[in-house]
Amino acid sequence: MTESVRMTIDGQEHDVPAGELIIQAAQDKGTYIPRFCWHERMNPVGMCRMCLVEVESPRGPMLVTACTDTVADGMSVDTKGPTVKKAQEAILEFLLANHPLDCPVCDKGGECPLQDQAMSHGPGDSRFVEIKRNYEKPIPISDLVLLDRERCILCARCTRFSDEISGDPLIEFQERGNVTEINTFPDLPFSSYFSGNTVQICPVGALTAKPYRFRARPWDLSRVESSGMFDTSHPRISIHSSQNQILRIVGVDNDATNHGWLSDKDRFGFEYLGSEDRLTTPLVKRGGELVAVGWAEALDIVANRIDLIWEEDGGSAFGVIGGARGTNEDAYALSKFARVTLGTNNVDCRMDDALSSHFLAGSVDRALISDLDTADTILIWAADLKEEHPNLYLRARRAAQELGVKLIIVHPRATGLDDRATHKLHYRPGGGFALLDEIAEGVHPEIASALAAQKVVVIVGQTSFADDPKLAESVAALVRSKAGTVRIMPLARRANTFGALDMGLGPDLLPGRVSVGAIGCASLAESWGEFPTSPGKDTRSILEGLDDGEIRCLLLVGADPVNDLPIGAIARDALEAAEYVVSIDLFLNDSNADADVILPALGFAEKEGLVTNVEGRVQKVNAISPGPGQARADWSILADIADRVGRPLGLALAETIAKEIAEVAPAYEGVTWDLLEWDERDGVVVPIQGSQQINHIPVSLAGPRAPRAGLTLHVARTLYDDGVLMRHSPSLHRLAPGPLVHLNPEDARRLGAQGGRPMRVVTKHGEGDFAAVIDEDTPEGVVFVPFNQPGGVSLGTDPVVRVTAVSG
Amino acid sequence: MSIWSEETQVRAKEIISRYPEKRSAVMPLLYLAMAEDGYLTDEGMEEVALWVGITPAQVRSVASFYTMYKREKTGRYLVSCCTSISCMLLGGDDILHAVEDESGVPHGETDDEGLLSVEHVECIGACGGAPAVQVNYELIEGVTSEKARDLVNWLRSARPEVVNTDEMQELFGGVRSFDWAVSEVDGAIGPYPAFQPLGTVGTEVGE
Ligand code: SF4
Ligand code: FES
Ligand code: FES
Repeated sequence: MTESVRMTIDGQEHDVPAGELIIQAAQDKGTYIPRFCWHERMNPVGMCRMCLVEVESPRGPMLVTACTDTVADGMSVDTKGPTVKKAQEAILEFLLANHPLDCPVCDKGGECPLQDQAMSHGPGDSRFVEIKRNYEKPIPISDLVLLDRERCILCARCTRFSDEISGDPLIEFQERGNVTEINTFPDLPFSSYFSGNTVQICPVGALTAKPYRFRARPWDLSRVESSGMFDTSHPRISIHSSQNQILRIVGVDNDATNHGWLSDKDRFGFEYLGSEDRLTTPLVKRGGELVAVGWAEALDIVANRIDLIWEEDGGSAFGVIGGARGTNEDAYALSKFARVTLGTNNVDCRMDDALSSHFLAGSVDRALISDLDTADTILIWAADLKEEHPNLYLRARRAAQELGVKLIIVHPRATGLDDRATHKLHYRPGGGFALLDEIAEGVHPEIASALAAQKVVVIVGQTSFADDPKLAESVAALVRSKAGTVRIMPLARRANTFGALDMGLGPDLLPGRVSVGAIGCASLAESWGEFPTSPGKDTRSILEGLDDGEIRCLLLVGADPVNDLPIGAIARDALEAAEYVVSIDLFLNDSNADADVILPALGFAEKEGLVTNVEGRVQKVNAISPGPGQARADWSILADIADRVGRPLGLALAETIAKEIAEVAPAYEGVTWDLLEWDERDGVVVPIQGSQQINHIPVSLAGPRAPRAGLTLHVARTLYDDGVLMRHSPSLHRLAPGPLVHLNPEDARRLGAQGGRPMRVVTKHGEGDFAAVIDEDTPEGVVFVPFNQPGGVSLGTDPVVRVTAVSG
Repeated sequence: MSIWSEETQVRAKEIISRYPEKRSAVMPLLYLAMAEDGYLTDEGMEEVALWVGITPAQVRSVASFYTMYKREKTGRYLVSCCTSISCMLLGGDDILHAVEDESGVPHGETDDEGLLSVEHVECIGACGGAPAVQVNYELIEGVTSEKARDLVNWLRSARPEVVNTDEMQELFGGVRSFDWAVSEVDGAIGPYPAFQPLGTVGTEVGE
């Protein structure tokens, strides 16, 4: 516990933590000191002087900035007296000497700290009659952010954010004195994955978001709190809508997940929900055409076919892929549907790019996101967090940059965190096991010693499609054998993957972190009745089963395997061979365009429920829009089909599904909507009362032990890509890098590559032309191709690659 | 690959090696960039950013804060007339007008030939010898309007390779504030300050 000191604020005595800033201490005790530049999550600068308070000092009372001075024992602070009031009025009068009074046409109007504090603390009048600063209105500083320089009050929040928090300081004060402004370097835009945060924290309307500009007035917006669902960290957000249309998303500050920050994907990636292309009615294939039909008809058709196949071949003729995009309630319904109604364990929410289901859902010693703050060492041997887990990236950056945590990064090429890494190793994909052996044998002593620390957090996941997914678990096993206390964070990327696995959407999993066939899930058997007890097929095997006819009917739930699988061709062939495909989705995509029946589903922010993040933290997501047309929640679609098939799920309401989960899923005992809505706004990490039956201890697995030589393919995701949700979010889709191949300057020279010129890339699974990017971030011998890009082709998972210059 | 000459690169390395944090070298490196291109170009600032490991926006932030970093083409001789309080009281504005008038170059601008730039500046630390003028940051004290005109004409006709305080003070100056200690350098060869190891000719004067 930190020591406390006794101080007086406005005549009231308080005990406050020693070393705290006056502004924070006062706020915690209920006294709000006005401020512009100070932000709880950033270092103080004392830039705006709005927080002046009067402090008794040996030299008499004096004005100090409450955001830069710390509390002291016996300190007496006055925040409201005549001197302070005069100072506050003066500061506001100065700020408004140049700040335009264009509030009626400013996005910030109605939620503007300057407007609010001018009302609450300002003089109400000004002695300045001079002409104010004028600038060209507005200038785009990035594809997403606009800047009206005359509104800027030079608080340095945006510049500190980009420097201290996101690590891409592409905006900075320019010029000086009366003409000081925020700007970028000429022709070097503020293209940060986190640019939207500056819009949120700008205390005036100087920075505005293109997608939201002039769309609404804040007092007209309906708001609901929820969690961002683009990756598995689930940052807390507030969704704002008007007339059932979502207009913006802002970050909500909480300690647990995101400190209020959001990636631009979480902030601006909601456009797909309002897309014209959303499915609005059930579609049924007739004579090669998809025809719109009513729900009753569509459900009858599906149920009849399920009946037929079930009669002939039983449960083993069914496969289910997907379910990671919905809520836990949806996932539970799907899990029950697969087992009870279809009678199969052939169900998987992972897309063949994932770690083992038991490691993901039930690893021992799972890390919390906040463990990153207190670790001695963090080892990241996973995807480039900046590209795939932007929220974790910010937290890890903060740990290394502000909290002095040692950071070790192992990745095929430079990641977004390399500039903050204490140690980094780059290697050729496919050579991961060889490198791991080297570390185990002490070839990299600096890493071995950093790992021998007291508290180590290890973040593991697949670095590259060309790397072995089994590597991640082996890394965790090695670190466990070296360090004092180890916390493990196995990564999966997609939305609610962890919730889906916890609900049993894995071939060897049942709800509540129970493995298929395990004894001890009596309550489940009691509630579900009979279901198969041997493990089913995973995504890859389901697709193979479709190919060889063993599986006749495939149910796709919010899944697009053709695009999402590292080798899309496998999915394409399987879908072509499939006898019957039913898809529950928001959109037509590359996988369901030829399905037999397509059922329109509700998406994010259109339904309530629970979700579970990478830590195992359960949070509540909420609805703010009814969704388009006749779209329905997954669980209710499944419940209706099950009723028609005659093996019903008995699920009638999302909230009662949550109750059923809490009863039958051991790890979810005691987790109810009520608890999360009223008591635990930041969510709870399960299990809270119950226990989990799977306690998976990571083990070292077999893999190719020889280091890779020769030109090696590295395929990995980038934040923006050609995924189906991105495709329907135009503001972000256009930021996808496109078909590129990154080469080291040495390799480029050898291969005759020139920046921007096309190169032919050939692998075992695919080939295509990619524009060359010559960059030092890619080590010699590694050929980096961003996955699933608009206009690109899939290159598969084999690390062997040939690159040649395209002539002409 | 650096856009700078071998020689400049050697100097850059040497300067960076003096600081525990390489970003601290941003200011002297900006002078290098100026010396390299004659003024501070965008490319020059980007190069500095690479050398000291910060972003070009951050470099430009520093460069645009200080008026001595010239981001526009500057003449071979930069004539700076002080118009701060001491000089102003003793005729600094008149001197500025005389320079503008004689040269035909308004303050803040450069002549077509690229020979002369004229600017007015805030106090240059020579208040005791006001009014003061600098040419390429080499100081002349106790200047009069007539002498200022002479100075302009001298720069135009003599086109000295190196400008040097002592020589100019002799020709165009008046009363000096005090007897100066030995000058550290012999003069300046361009519109950037003549500190080591930049823009310097000769070595220290040994008396
Ligand atoms: S743009 Fe906004 S956040 Fe940035 S310095 Fe200006 S007022 Fe502050
Ligand atoms: S809030 Fe303290 S100076 Fe700005
Ligand atoms: S006022 Fe001119 S040198 Fe000081």
